Amino acid sequence: MKWAALALVAVLALVQPTEAYLHFTTTRGGQSVTLKWQRSPVRWFARDRGAPGVPATEFQAALARAFATWEAVPTASIAFQFAGFTGAEPFDDDGASVVGFQNHPAMDRVLGATGFLIDTVTGEILESDIFFNTALPWSTAPSGDPTAFDLESVAVHEVGHLLGLGHSALGETEPRPDGGRRVLASGSVMFPISFGRGVTHDRVLQPDDIAGVSELYPDGGFGRATGLARGRVTRNGSGVFGAHVTAFNPATGQIVAGFTLNRDGDFQIAGLAPGPHVIRVEPLDDADAESFFSRRDPVDAGFQPTFHPRLFVAPAGGPGERLTVAVTPR
Amino acid sequence: MTRTLVGVALVLAASTAGYAQAGAAAPTARVEVEVGGGVFGGARLGARDANLRSNAQAPQPYRLFTADSRLASTPSLRLRTAVPLGRRLAIEGGLTWGRPEIRTSLTADAEGAASITSVERIDQYAFDVSLVWMLDALRVGERLLPFVSGGGGYLRQLHEGRTLVEHGQVYRAGGGVRYRLMVRPEGFVRSMGLRADALVEVLRGGIAFEDRPRSHAAISGGLYVGF
Repeated sequence: MKWAALALVAVLALVQPTEAYLHFTTTRGGQSVTLKWQRSPVRWFARDRGAPGVPATEFQAALARAFATWEAVPTASIAFQFAGFTGAEPFDDDGASVVGFQNHPAMDRVLGATGFLIDTVTGEILESDIFFNTALPWSTAPSGDPTAFDLESVAVHEVGHLLGLGHSALGETEPRPDGGRRVLASGSVMFPISFGRGVTHDRVLQPDDIAGVSELYPDGGFGRATGLARGRVTRNGSGVFGAHVTAFNPATGQIVAGFTLNRDGDFQIAGLAPGPHVIRVEPLDDADAESFFSRRDPVDAGFQPTFHPRLFVAPAGGPGERLTVAVTPR
Repeated sequence: MTRTLVGVALVLAASTAGYAQAGAAAPTARVEVEVGGGVFGGARLGARDANLRSNAQAPQPYRLFTADSRLASTPSLRLRTAVPLGRRLAIEGGLTWGRPEIRTSLTADAEGAASITSVERIDQYAFDVSLVWMLDALRVGERLLPFVSGGGGYLRQLHEGRTLVEHGQVYRAGGGVRYRLMVRPEGFVRSMGLRADALVEVLRGGIAFEDRPRSHAAISGGLYVGF
């Protein structure tokens, strides 16, 4: 058995980009292996060191709420257990999953990051650590503090990574004068760019997050109760890689999204409530593509946002009619 | 098929008193079967914005685009069986089938996607039971008889490719006229005529993008035969 540490920089930065749900994978013998916990409950330790304005006990309480938020998803089966405070640092490959504050002044746009120790054969996550950067101000105020970032919101995002979720591109951004991007809006906790100081919206999971974790750890009849959209995005007949595909349910207002993940332009979106959906395809231009895909796989962002001319009907369980969405160059 | 409908109607019959259509002295039909067509007027399904969450401390939506949906107008086919309950009152059961499109207008995209109308065709069945009251006082000549009707029933909508079935209720109220072509005192076929209906229908449940009933107008016409 070969063990490897795979550091996935899951950044929730002030000025970075976004997308809809992805699962972390590794490649073994040319096959993609999904990273996930195979034992539950997942035990986690809290670093016994606070940060300005956030003592260690409040830090632990905020993290416990973030873990509980994911655990409460009725269609997912993951569970967590607080194992105690520790003096160990996050990102030590010690077999213990540790969350804690660390000071990284050079990473002045990074709020936090998550790293993994995985079994590269099975994809099992063996350890996952999270740090929150004390180079930036933090708050656990119930209604948020306009001068600091909401720890619980960022923790919910990072725990999503700890579970094996990648970034979602479900959001809109605008360029900042000093470089990077400022988030205008987001439809997923797993959007890679954080809301601003004092904003606490990401304490609550969105349908896109719930679909992502439920597909990874399905429970409660998830597969039978929800439908799957599958299809292809093409431009001039060829597949488009890295296109962001959203499914909007006009009855519920829920938006769940996915990506085309190969050169044929194939995509799949799980967790759709049965019924008609609007399918919309957009280029991945609201965040750095590296927030979603490796640099080896350049995404195609040179096309117009496009609605599919037909409504997609998600069945109750299983895939619906296969779609082909043709996009046009910008 | 006609025989089957006749059989069902006879079981339902509580009375064999005649229809007012035939007139006081005329012979009466025990059951009536109608085949016809019409137009389902279309119904609004609702509008909803696809919203993200704005980057502001107070919750406020950020509109990605707007979706405004309606069930489009479409031709329909109607089968009906009626049984008289008295001189002026009848009970009737009907099946209406149509293939309307769900038409969703997609506009105001935040990133400039071209506005389009996204469509899906469905199969729609309404099984209803109605009471019909003949307005004998408003009769025009010997042949033309107005009536009012009202009832309700079951709505079944099948999405394209039969991937999903949705259930609801339909309530209908309206009126119309019957025009008698033929009546005779005995024989298997005792009457024949034309009928036209204008109705307001209210749909509840089924395919809906807002949690409230949807109303629409419907007209239909057909040939009835009394046995």
